[in-house]
Amino acid sequence: MVHVAPSEHLSRLTSKEDFQAFRQQAHDRWDQMWNGDKIVASVGVGSSSIAKGALEVLDRARQELGGEGIVREVSGNGAFWMEPWIEVKRPGEPPIVYGPIAPDVVSAVIAGRRQDLAVGVRGDEAFEGIQPLSAHPFFAQQKQILMRNSGVIEPDSIEDAIARGAYDGYFKVLFELSAEEAIAEVTTAQVRGRGGGGFPAGVKWESGRKARNFPKFVVCNSHEGEPNVYKDRHLHESDPHRILEGILIACIAVGAERGYNYVGGEYPLAIRRFRKAVADAERLGLIGKNILGTGKNVAFRVRTGGGAYICGEASALMYSVMGVRGQPRTKPPRSVEEGLWKRPTVANNTETLANIPDIIVNGGAWYASMGTENSKGTKLMTNQGPMNRLGVVEVEMGMTLNTLFDDIFGGMREGYTFKGVQTGGVSAGPLKPEHLDIPVDFDSLGDVGGMLGSGGWVIFDENVCVVDFARYLTAFNRYESCSKCVPCRLGNPALVEILDRIRFGRGTLDDLTLIKRTSKHIIELSLCGLGQVAPVPLMGMLEHYEEEFRKHVVDKVCPTGTCPMSVAASDLEPEHALAAD
Amino acid sequence: MAHAEQAHVPLPVPAPFTGRQEIDLDVVRELLSHFHYSDFEEAQELILSALQEVNEHFGWVSPEAAELVAEHLGTTVNRVFGLLTFYADFRTAPRGHHHLLVCHGMSCYVLGSQQLVQELQDRYGIADGDTTPDEQLSVQVVNGCLGVCDRSPVVKLDDTYVGHVTPESLNDLLQRAIAGRAAAEAATRGETVG
Repeated sequence: MVHVAPSEHLSRLTSKEDFQAFRQQAHDRWDQMWNGDKIVASVGVGSSSIAKGALEVLDRARQELGGEGIVREVSGNGAFWMEPWIEVKRPGEPPIVYGPIAPDVVSAVIAGRRQDLAVGVRGDEAFEGIQPLSAHPFFAQQKQILMRNSGVIEPDSIEDAIARGAYDGYFKVLFELSAEEAIAEVTTAQVRGRGGGGFPAGVKWESGRKARNFPKFVVCNSHEGEPNVYKDRHLHESDPHRILEGILIACIAVGAERGYNYVGGEYPLAIRRFRKAVADAERLGLIGKNILGTGKNVAFRVRTGGGAYICGEASALMYSVMGVRGQPRTKPPRSVEEGLWKRPTVANNTETLANIPDIIVNGGAWYASMGTENSKGTKLMTNQGPMNRLGVVEVEMGMTLNTLFDDIFGGMREGYTFKGVQTGGVSAGPLKPEHLDIPVDFDSLGDVGGMLGSGGWVIFDENVCVVDFARYLTAFNRYESCSKCVPCRLGNPALVEILDRIRFGRGTLDDLTLIKRTSKHIIELSLCGLGQVAPVPLMGMLEHYEEEFRKHVVDKVCPTGTCPMSVAASDLEPEHALAAD
Repeated sequence: MAHAEQAHVPLPVPAPFTGRQEIDLDVVRELLSHFHYSDFEEAQELILSALQEVNEHFGWVSPEAAELVAEHLGTTVNRVFGLLTFYADFRTAPRGHHHLLVCHGMSCYVLGSQQLVQELQDRYGIADGDTTPDEQLSVQVVNGCLGVCDRSPVVKLDDTYVGHVTPESLNDLLQRAIAGRAAAEAATRGETVG
C-alpha cells in the first residue's frame, strides 16, 4: 500500500502554458465523455458501499457493458442510505442515479428497464417523471462545496479532478497571487479550524509565514479517530486532489518546503486513493522541484497512523510522524514555532485545508458571505443512530439541528423515539429535544454543553440508558488515554469504576458527587486537550439526565433495562464486564 | 436493546479458509527494500509505515520481523517494540485462522455491540486481541468505527462484512466459518466430512 504507481500516460508539465494545455485537454475529455454516444455507468465505491456489495455491482456493470460503454469507479456521494448505487447516462439522456441496487439487477438498470429504482436525475431538470437528485430532501438543503465532486469524479483520475476545477487555486497562488495576498484571502474568509478547536486558519498561516526558522512544514491532520466521524475519510475517498491542493497552497503561502498528510491507518481505501493522487501530481510536476517552471519547490509525504485516537492532537500527531509514541507535550512553544523536527509547522485539519482551493479561486469575501457572524462557510456533518437516512452531508453554518435531523436525515426510524444526541464526538455533552432549535455553529452549542467539534452527531433513542452510554464514552477515553499524565491515566479508570458500580446496582448518591469531583480534577489538571475534555460527556449526561442517574442510585432501577443490575445482579461481577471493552 | 426488533437478515457464507500467517523473513526483507531514506529523520518517519506494511501482510509483527525493521531503518528493536505496543493497530501475536473485527463505534454500541463482545467472552473465552487456544479464531474490538453505521452492529469476519448482528447470529456465523474451514482442509486431504 505504501507504493502506489502513478498513471503511465501522464508526463511532466514544465511551464504555465503546459498546465493550461493539460487543463484544456482534461476539460475536452470530460465534455466528450458526457456528450458522447456511449453509455456512461458510474458506480459509487467507498468504504461504506463496499461493505454493501458495490464492487460486485461494479464488476457486473463492466461485464454488462464490456467495450461498448464507459464504466467509472467514482466514490460514494455521502448518501449511505442509497448504497450501493449506480449512475447511468444513456446517449441523449441526463445521468440518472439508481439505488440501492443488487448486482443481479444491474443489467436491467443499465438497459433502462428498472426506472422504479431511480432516486433522481443528476442535473437540474426532471426527466420522464424522475425528479432531480437536488430536489431530494437529503440534498435539497445542502450546500455542497467540498463535496461538489463526491460521486461525480473518479478519485483515481487527476484529469477528472482537473476538469472539475482542481488545482485552479494552486495555479492562482503560483502565478497570480503573492504569498501575502493568498494569506489575506484566507484571513478575509475567516475560515476556522474544522477539527474542533475553531482557531482561525489565516492567523495560523500568518504566524507560520513570519517564523524565521527554516525549513518549515505544513501538516494536514487527517486522523479522525473518533468513533462516530467519517467526514475526512469521505473527503479522501471522494476528492483527494482537493485536500492535496489545499496542502500545497498552504505550503506555498507559508513558505514551507514540505507538506505532510497524516491519515488514520484504519482507512485503507482513503490512504490508497490519496497516495494515488500524490503519485499523479508528482508525475505531472505539481509537486517537486521547480514546479511549472516557477522555481518553487514543495516536497510531499504521506504518513499513516496506527490507530491511536490521541494522535489527532497536534503535538501527538507530530511525534507520531517522527516515529515515536504519540504523546502530547506542554505548550508553549506552539507548533508554528517549534513543531515537526523542531521546525515551524502549520498544522490544519483536512476539512479546513479542503476549503482553501475554493477560497483562493472565489475570494475570501465570497466565503465569508456564507454562514453566521462568527462561523463562516459550510460544515461537513455525519450522523449515526436510528435515523431514516445516514450519511455525510455539507450544510451552511447556522442551520438548526431540527432542519438537519428532520429534513435532511429524515427523522427517526419507525419505532424509535428521540431521546438525545451526543455532540462533539467523545469530547462534549449531549443535547436534549428542547435544544434542537439551536443553530449549528462553533459558538452556539457551547452554551448548553454541546459542541460542534468535528460535526458528528450520534442520535440515541429511548432504549439507550444514559448511564451505560456515559460509561461507553468514558471507557473510550480511558482506552485511548496515552498514559503520559496522571489525572487522565488514573482518573478515567476511576470514573469507569464508579459508573460500573452504579450499573451493577451498588451506587449511592455520594457516587454522583464523586463523579463531579473526579471529573473536575481530570479537566483541570490534565496536560492535553483529550484529558481536559475526557469527562465532559459524562458531566453532560449527568447534568441533562440527572433524574435517570438518581433512579439508578436511589431506586436501584435502570429504566431502560440495559444495565446489568436489571439482568441478574447477583450473578454478575463487575470484573466480568470490565474485561470486555 | 433495540437490535432484537430488527428483521432477520440472511448471513453471507464466509470464505472457508484464510490460513494462518507465519512470517517469512525473506518477504519482510523484500517489503523493506522499498523503503528508501536520505537521512535519519526520514528513516524515523518510516518506522511506522514499515511496521504497518508487515502487519498488513502477515496480520502481525514478530520480534524477528521487528528486528529486521529496526536494522533496516537504523534504529533499535526496543524503540520498534515500544511503537508496536503503543499503537492499537499492531498485533504482536499471530491471528487465528479466522480474524473477527467487532465494530465498537457509538452507533454499534447503542445497538448492542457490547453483547457481541460479551458473547465472545462467554462462549469462546476471548477478549480484544486474543486468539482461541485452538487457533481458530482471533478477535479485535475496533474502538473507532468500521464505517458501515447503517448496518449496526457490524462485524467483519476475514473479508466479509456482516450487519445487524445478534449474539445468536454471530455464533452461527463463527460456527459455520470454522466448520467450513475444517471441510475445506479435509477436502484438500481427499477426505469427506460426514
